[in-house]
Amino acid sequence: MRLGARSVVLAALLAGLAAAPVRAEDLKLGMVVPITGAAAESGRFAQWGAQLAADEVNAAGGVLGRKLVLAIEDDQTSNPGGVAAFNRLASDASIVAFLGSIRSTQTQAMDPDVRRVAKPVFFGGTDPELTRGGDPWLFRCRPNDAYSAKVIAAFGVNELKLKKWAVVFSTDAFGSNGHKHLVEELKADGAEVVTEQGYANQATDFTPVVLAIKGSPADVIGSYFTFEQDLGIFARQLRQLGVRTPWVGSPSIVATTALRLSGPALFGTYGVADFNADSSPEAHAFADAYKAAHKMAPDNFSSWTYDAVKLAARAINTAKSTDPKAVREAILAVRDYKGVEGTYDFDANGDGLHGYNIVKNDGGKVVFIKHIEFAP
Amino acid sequence: MTVLLQLLFQGVGIGAVYALVALGFVLIYRATNVVNFAQGQFAVVGAYSMVVTTADLGLPYWLGILITLAVMAVFGALFNLGVYYPLRNRSFLPVVISTIGASIFITNIILGIYGPEPSMLAPMLDAPGISLGALFLDAQYLTIIAVTLALVALQYLFFEHTLLGKRMQAVSQDKEMASLLGIKVGWMIMLTFIYSAMLGGIAGILVAPILFVSVGLGGQIALKAFAATIIGGFGDVPGAIVGGIAIGVIETFGAYYISVPYKDAFAFIVLFAFLLLRPSGLFGEKVSQKA
Repeated sequence: MRLGARSVVLAALLAGLAAAPVRAEDLKLGMVVPITGAAAESGRFAQWGAQLAADEVNAAGGVLGRKLVLAIEDDQTSNPGGVAAFNRLASDASIVAFLGSIRSTQTQAMDPDVRRVAKPVFFGGTDPELTRGGDPWLFRCRPNDAYSAKVIAAFGVNELKLKKWAVVFSTDAFGSNGHKHLVEELKADGAEVVTEQGYANQATDFTPVVLAIKGSPADVIGSYFTFEQDLGIFARQLRQLGVRTPWVGSPSIVATTALRLSGPALFGTYGVADFNADSSPEAHAFADAYKAAHKMAPDNFSSWTYDAVKLAARAINTAKSTDPKAVREAILAVRDYKGVEGTYDFDANGDGLHGYNIVKNDGGKVVFIKHIEFAP
Repeated sequence: MTVLLQLLFQGVGIGAVYALVALGFVLIYRATNVVNFAQGQFAVVGAYSMVVTTADLGLPYWLGILITLAVMAVFGALFNLGVYYPLRNRSFLPVVISTIGASIFITNIILGIYGPEPSMLAPMLDAPGISLGALFLDAQYLTIIAVTLALVALQYLFFEHTLLGKRMQAVSQDKEMASLLGIKVGWMIMLTFIYSAMLGGIAGILVAPILFVSVGLGGQIALKAFAATIIGGFGDVPGAIVGGIAIGVIETFGAYYISVPYKDAFAFIVLFAFLLLRPSGLFGEKVSQKA
């Protein structure tokens, strides 16, 4: 009997959750997001960013005169979970477009189903290959990793005027791809790579790497660290052994965890970041609204979903239709749209952004230096 | 020359940590004939206990260490009662599986409480280290080497020159005989678990300021420590120390002179070589001789 009462309460709760705001005339965007699992916290940020954009769209009259609502499914922070969540959403024919994952491997796992469903999917994974595989329905709302290497090289060579590079990278997929692109870009920019040092994740000691850099003629370090702990150990040993050369790193160098673990060892270093509140008036306004709503600063987990919802609404309004092909054409036609991640100019592959912000660690505070943009 | 000395210092320093964890492996193996695969997690528990007492509660460092040692002693006793004791009359395998299960359980409990984000622990000494020309001796590594030496000396005195130590040795050599001589075998094994947990905790306290505190901490060290025990000769105390330091030095030199990405491989290449050519390790006795 008690069990029965409990089930009734549970069923009522579930029904309440499912039935909440969606009405027949609402215009639905599907959103695949981690609600449980290791990335649950970042999943909440992603929902906040998307909801903020939806509220602004609705305040401005909605989409095709209809109210924009989000239909959310949990990906459980896993690839199978992401695929299952996408397919649950896709079974609802009234959903016009989707927000996928910020994780490259999840996006890769969802790719066959995205092609089958044949509706626009915005995503945030940064593996360059994702938009080069011929899937016409993927649209990226963050700059891909090919651009982080371009920006690290361009800033170091052209702005800092440093030509002898030490490249330090994790030997995992992310780090070795970054290393490959960075070396290519440096050579193209006329710089010389004097030492290349790969390491395996979860390293205990970076002395051999630091001594190799110290013994080389390098006057600048470029890095692709995957985990902030490795970055922290390397940074401390680098300073202890007296290496003070400038350092331009991939986004992890300005991650909150890295700043906390490394402290003064990272002061004065440069990093690339796709979202920075000071990079544009749009980013600034977004940061203010987000802070007012959630009492904390936004990061790239919420900025790309904010842009994705705005872009979807804009494309559907421009197309004056919810027909997937018409919406797709409208997204590809987006030019010079000022989002909070940067300025969107979609190329034929579906990449919306083509640049990064350069930021500097100024005594533990991340300050905006400049935005470097490349032609699509 | 400076490069050589710097590499040697780092190698001995990180090797001393492997040695401490290896010592825990060896002591439990000698007492119970079982490999405790949760030994690395002992270091994680010790490191988190330090974070809770010194960083979260703001207690002085020395008090944090005392509390952590007490926590580890209780933890070792509970580990014995929960993981080893109920299976003590079973064969080798169920007990090993039980320790692996315990390791996964501990990891996930900590993950549930503290999450995957690493925490920080301040180093034991305020000074960053000593500079000798271009050579830099990190204060925390110096502490690690000093504490390891002191523990090895203390342990030698304890096992060779106290009655309790000799009783524990007797149990590790022959439980039935020891029991016939009136030694309380169960209690000696309990003491071994308590001491091994404290050793693991000390390794965690020492290494946390260098590697940061996260659940991955134990796995990073334990695998190398395990290799160290095999190289030294499974069940041999001096062997664990020499094996640990040898692995630290070999991987550091191998990384600098041969390849950094393959750093972790060097320890295991040496391990393979030993398993093939000298399975009993540097100091180990053959299994048939032990019984």
